[in-house]
Amino acid sequence: MYTKVILVKDTDPKREDKTRDFYTRLLDYLRQTNLLDQIQVVRVADIGVYDQGMVIKVLPDKITYVNVADADIKRIIDAVLKENEVIQDLVFKPKAKQHRIVLRNCGKINPESIEEYIACGGYLALKKVLGELGQQKLIEELKISGIRGRGGAGYPTWMKWNFAREVASAEKFVICNADEGDPGAYMDRSVLEGDPHSVIEGLIIAAFAIGASKGYFYIRAEYPLAVERIEKAIKQAYDYGLLGNNILGSSFNLDIDIRLGAGAFVCGEETALISSIEGRRGTPHPRPPYPSVKGLWGKPTVINNVETLANIPVIISKGGKWFSQIGTQTSKGTKVFAVTGKVKNSGLVEIAMGATLREIVVDICGGTLSGKPIKAVQTGGPSGGVIPENLLDTPVDYENLQKLGSIMGSGGMIVMDDDDCMVDIPKFYLGFCVEESCGKCAPCRIGGFQMLGYLKKISEGKGKPDDLGQLRRISQAMQKASLCGLGQTASNPVLSTLKYFEQEYNEHILNKRCPAGKCSSLVTYSIIEDKCKRCGICFNNCPVKAIIGGKEEGYSIIQDKCVKCGRCFDVCKFKAINKK
Amino acid sequence: MNKLTPDDLDKMSQASSDKPKDWIKVGMSSCGIAAGAEEVFNFFAEEVKKRNLQIEIKKCGCAGACYAEPLVEVSVEGLPSVIYGSVNKDVATKILEKHVISKRLVNDSIFEVLA
Repeated sequence: MYTKVILVKDTDPKREDKTRDFYTRLLDYLRQTNLLDQIQVVRVADIGVYDQGMVIKVLPDKITYVNVADADIKRIIDAVLKENEVIQDLVFKPKAKQHRIVLRNCGKINPESIEEYIACGGYLALKKVLGELGQQKLIEELKISGIRGRGGAGYPTWMKWNFAREVASAEKFVICNADEGDPGAYMDRSVLEGDPHSVIEGLIIAAFAIGASKGYFYIRAEYPLAVERIEKAIKQAYDYGLLGNNILGSSFNLDIDIRLGAGAFVCGEETALISSIEGRRGTPHPRPPYPSVKGLWGKPTVINNVETLANIPVIISKGGKWFSQIGTQTSKGTKVFAVTGKVKNSGLVEIAMGATLREIVVDICGGTLSGKPIKAVQTGGPSGGVIPENLLDTPVDYENLQKLGSIMGSGGMIVMDDDDCMVDIPKFYLGFCVEESCGKCAPCRIGGFQMLGYLKKISEGKGKPDDLGQLRRISQAMQKASLCGLGQTASNPVLSTLKYFEQEYNEHILNKRCPAGKCSSLVTYSIIEDKCKRCGICFNNCPVKAIIGGKEEGYSIIQDKCVKCGRCFDVCKFKAINKK
Repeated sequence: MNKLTPDDLDKMSQASSDKPKDWIKVGMSSCGIAAGAEEVFNFFAEEVKKRNLQIEIKKCGCAGACYAEPLVEVSVEGLPSVIYGSVNKDVATKILEKHVISKRLVNDSIFEVLA
């Protein structure tokens, strides 16, 4: 049996992977010193540290050494064999660490087994609430915790609950908003699929807090597995007497049903969501009255996001004070982000509020996949903004992101490199909002359409200098006059790119050039004759037969026929296609 | 099924600290399944039966590292618990033959070390 394990991985992105060479040298050394049966060396695919040269991790001590050279092998092995000895000049101190509260059970327990959830302390928070706390103390505990809604707007959860509790009504409702719709965001889906009972427990506690006897899960129909697992979990909870009448032997009753959303983005907005559950068209209504006072069927209703609810059981079990010590002054706890786009390790990251964007994108997710520099990070989906690279050291919380012209949103985070065009990105997001606008109010319906028109013009090289002023004016009108969050925030991607990348807009308008080479109307492909080896691969791959010629006379591109798909550029092995 | 009382809950949550047992867990959320986790899970289940191995095959949700799905966590007594990524049948075979049977970690596939 081995006493120690050494993991090896080359993390230098600028050279060919040297993991195997170093692994062999380590083995040679161990063979010479007769240590092969004591120390096992393993090459790993990812060692959790990036751009730090050759990295070694020693187990079970969990010590990481970085920028290790061949000359260090002897002293590292010597240290490994001794107890409590660490080589200080090579040891790595992790900068950013994930902090898992919401994702505490995801990837650990079987989501289809209520027994495993209970074995991890599940439903003990509900027991505490029913047995000791009572409504008032429960809400007090939430107030101390400082938790704010994780759906995007960041409204204090205890206030929502307290309003609904104070309204006298024979009937009240709780709703779990699982209508996750931001492109590239899937935090809620993962929690619903990976730990459904934590959300159900949160919803039961919310219902108890306000005195509701009926709850709904509003899940989009595009999440079949999440729906299936929530259905299963609800059934198990009924079987165990955690739902239904006299929950855990108390006098508290609650029934929970599932309602499927048909996939309209606007139905994530709470008033539109309520309309949808009522069986009406999913369009928003002016607030106030807020749903906490007058919501579903005109009754007091609390609507919380999946991630908010998954936090509740932990807050109750460990106490509001414990939770309030995590995070920043104004934003407590953790946030789950779905990091996607041009990033090396795409996936879910849960960090304490106050971690910087750079820690998330570079230290945890390993930077860009291409190795190119990061150009910007987009947070908050279609309602958020683009944050340029030089501001990545901003600590993440609700207020800071807002100051930068973006929002926390539900937690989508899209990483962009030099190949992303800052006119094309807002065009995509605005296009999404125009498509998803319900059309009820004019600022959103007409404003969005007009703005998209300007962006299209600019991306085609037909923009005029005063178009930018016009974009800003319409943005302001939409922000001020739209009925709901969709219209009020739809212009954020445009405004934030105008703020940080106006130069790139001007390049499109004045010089008819797209620096990222993304806007197809402004890109021309041509063949560089000196580099062309006449292999014919571009000729064979052009989908519109815009490349003519042959192996004898060489090839050329007919510009009138070219649709600028970039296929020839991608397939050419000799870099003989010029993109301009 | 009997309805739980608060005391039952306490008992069930304490019952978890029983003897350690070897197990393999496959991440079976949408991201894992899309990457082929179902096939990997079935493969493990069949092979363990065929080879008569004393190891439990379990399902779990997504651990977050979506870029490396399907993810498989292996806990075998005497070895550190690790998560293997991008697991296909080849890697799964190595996990069984090397990790589970010979008690050696598999090269080039570990994405995360837990303990």
